[in-house]
Amino acid sequence: MKKSNRKLTPWLYNFPAFILIGIIVLFPILYTGYISLTNMNLYHWQDYTFVGADNYVRALGKVDSGFIAALFTTILWTVVNMVLDVGIAYILAIGLNVEGLRGRRIYKTLIIFPWAMPAYVSILAWRVGMYNTEFGLLNKVLVALGFEKMDFLSKNVPAFLSCVVLNLWMSLPYMVVMFDGALQSIDRSMYESAILDGAGAWQKNWYITIPSLRKVMAPVVIMTTFTTFKQFDIVYLLTMQKGAVSGSTMQTIITYAHQNAFVSNNYGLSSAVSIVIFVIIIAFSAWTNRAAKEV
Amino acid sequence: MRKSIKKKLSLLLAGAMAAGTLTGCGQDAESSTGITTEGAVPETDNATEEASTSGEPVTITAWHDNDEAMMEALAAVVNEKLAGENITLRFEKKSDVSGQIRLYGTDAANGPDMYLFAHDSLGGFAEMGILEPVGNLISEDKEADLLPMTIEAASYKGEQYLMPVYYETLLFMYNKSLWKGEVPSTTDELYDYMVENTDTNAGTYALVNQHSNSYNVAPFINGFGGYIIDKDANPGLNVQETKDAISYNKKFAELQADGDYNTVTALFNEGNAAAIIGGPWLISGIKEAGIDLGIKSLCDFTLPNGDVMTPYSGVQCLGVLKYAAESKKEALTRVLEVLAEPEVGITLAKEFNCAPANSKAYEDADVAANEMILAMEKSAKKAVPMSNIPEMSVMWGPAESLLAAVNKSGEDVDTAADKYQKEALQAIADMQ
Repeated sequence: MKKSNRKLTPWLYNFPAFILIGIIVLFPILYTGYISLTNMNLYHWQDYTFVGADNYVRALGKVDSGFIAALFTTILWTVVNMVLDVGIAYILAIGLNVEGLRGRRIYKTLIIFPWAMPAYVSILAWRVGMYNTEFGLLNKVLVALGFEKMDFLSKNVPAFLSCVVLNLWMSLPYMVVMFDGALQSIDRSMYESAILDGAGAWQKNWYITIPSLRKVMAPVVIMTTFTTFKQFDIVYLLTMQKGAVSGSTMQTIITYAHQNAFVSNNYGLSSAVSIVIFVIIIAFSAWTNRAAKEV
Repeated sequence: MRKSIKKKLSLLLAGAMAAGTLTGCGQDAESSTGITTEGAVPETDNATEEASTSGEPVTITAWHDNDEAMMEALAAVVNEKLAGENITLRFEKKSDVSGQIRLYGTDAANGPDMYLFAHDSLGGFAEMGILEPVGNLISEDKEADLLPMTIEAASYKGEQYLMPVYYETLLFMYNKSLWKGEVPSTTDELYDYMVENTDTNAGTYALVNQHSNSYNVAPFINGFGGYIIDKDANPGLNVQETKDAISYNKKFAELQADGDYNTVTALFNEGNAAAIIGGPWLISGIKEAGIDLGIKSLCDFTLPNGDVMTPYSGVQCLGVLKYAAESKKEALTRVLEVLAEPEVGITLAKEFNCAPANSKAYEDADVAANEMILAMEKSAKKAVPMSNIPEMSVMWGPAESLLAAVNKSGEDVDTAADKYQKEALQAIADMQ
């Protein structure tokens, strides 16, 4: 009796949390799944009926050449961003930890600033303040140097690079702070021993810093990879916001799904597409979790 | 001891989480008795019906995403007229009103009684079955003075669902101190003027326009005989007349900056553009900038084919939600009757340069002398009301993408038109 009580107690304590998770996380997913099996749309708003897997057949029909291109762009986007994000953050964090650096706290505060800004504000500020042909800093510099103005967001390659730069600006602070914290946790005596053994800066980095950071940074890198993979705001607000379409046709799988299903007011079809994306993201998440365990 | 504290703390946290989880599941004391935030208006069906018939105060809530001062002025006129009847019209600003109405259109507890929005979203709401036709609330003779164009825009499948309040069209607005000489009367002359007076690298422009926004390019498309979507829901992005218009607009676009709303508005207000194609919504910013504004109807510009530029007209209307009509019928009827009178239009015209939907409002001396309203009235005679069929809602995206592809990415008009026509057809098919 006592033993079974002991088994039940943790479940009892966690029960309210389970209810909360059920309402916030599970219910919307199940409800979306339910809607995906109906013909709920503008014409059947209140009198929708069960249509089986029809919407899934249509959703999978959207896995065409456009979707494959979007998937390729998403993978490229994730790889480029993560390599640059981790590389630059590592260098900045190392720089912030150089002994005798003055004004360290000021630099750290400045670095965290972009992270504290709401994403929507940051993106619009960059669209106008940096990339805009008339008021953007980049074009002001180009004109001052005697070049023609350039529309950075109107063609795919420059638009992709512009989105990468903004994504780095927004995500670097988090990565730098994490690297900085991880660097603080490394035992200084290892460096002292290495110096006594005649190790240089490169050897200290390669044999002490990087191996020591791996375990601490792995979850951070994996989580950031995940959020970069499903990034929507930057690409959408910079290039395809209603009323300010830039001309670039670059699509990630999330923007592709949004454009192909969510503007139609067909909630059955949109829900089916959502469930398909959900499955893809869960698969990606499972893969990244496995990778995390292997680190 | 420490273990017992942990245990108590865990229980406390679990209890707090359970309470938090269930917060909101109970009935709000106020709403359960039918009292609004203003504290006096019952909202339950029977209670409200009794209230409106017995002279108890009734508040009609309307959502909008318009200029708040304008909505306050509109509400003030209505509330003054209905003060003796204890009916109050209250506006609440919401972003993306059409999206909000889609979400709350059947939610009597949390949704509004009315909403104010442009007429092009009507078809979708009518098909959803969330709107009460205004014909069920107000007699036809009360609407006798409304302009036929506005009634047409407010009707769908032969039924009038909305109450027109005012309408808007695009206009040619110019800075009198920057514009050199007379404003031309043909678009070819206008283009020549732009070539002579635009320096893109210096950031000075003769005329700016949202050249990749289909609403702003519609004067060319309609004038060339093209269309974005016809009344039978056929997209017209790749019909020859539309393509001709887009090609013609492209050469103007090359001299009009990036065409983004914020960019072109800032260029005009800062004196870096001598003219802008825009509507009355720009007036407050222009006034603040102290610009000596001149206005000309777009219908005064002749296109190379001999026809005139023909903008869309957008009619701002109030719609009544079905559930509200069931519970507040009498109060809503009175509000609609006041809205159909000329006073609301006169106030909005005098204070905000809105072109009234009520024809009698134009008899007012100040309204009759308002340059902007006269230009819009002139445009309205030629203007094409935006389509209000449900399929219109999915046409803005492909049309804008087509214009951006041609104007900004330099894509071939024929190829891009075919591509986005296909996308439009797919979007329409996806609605079903």
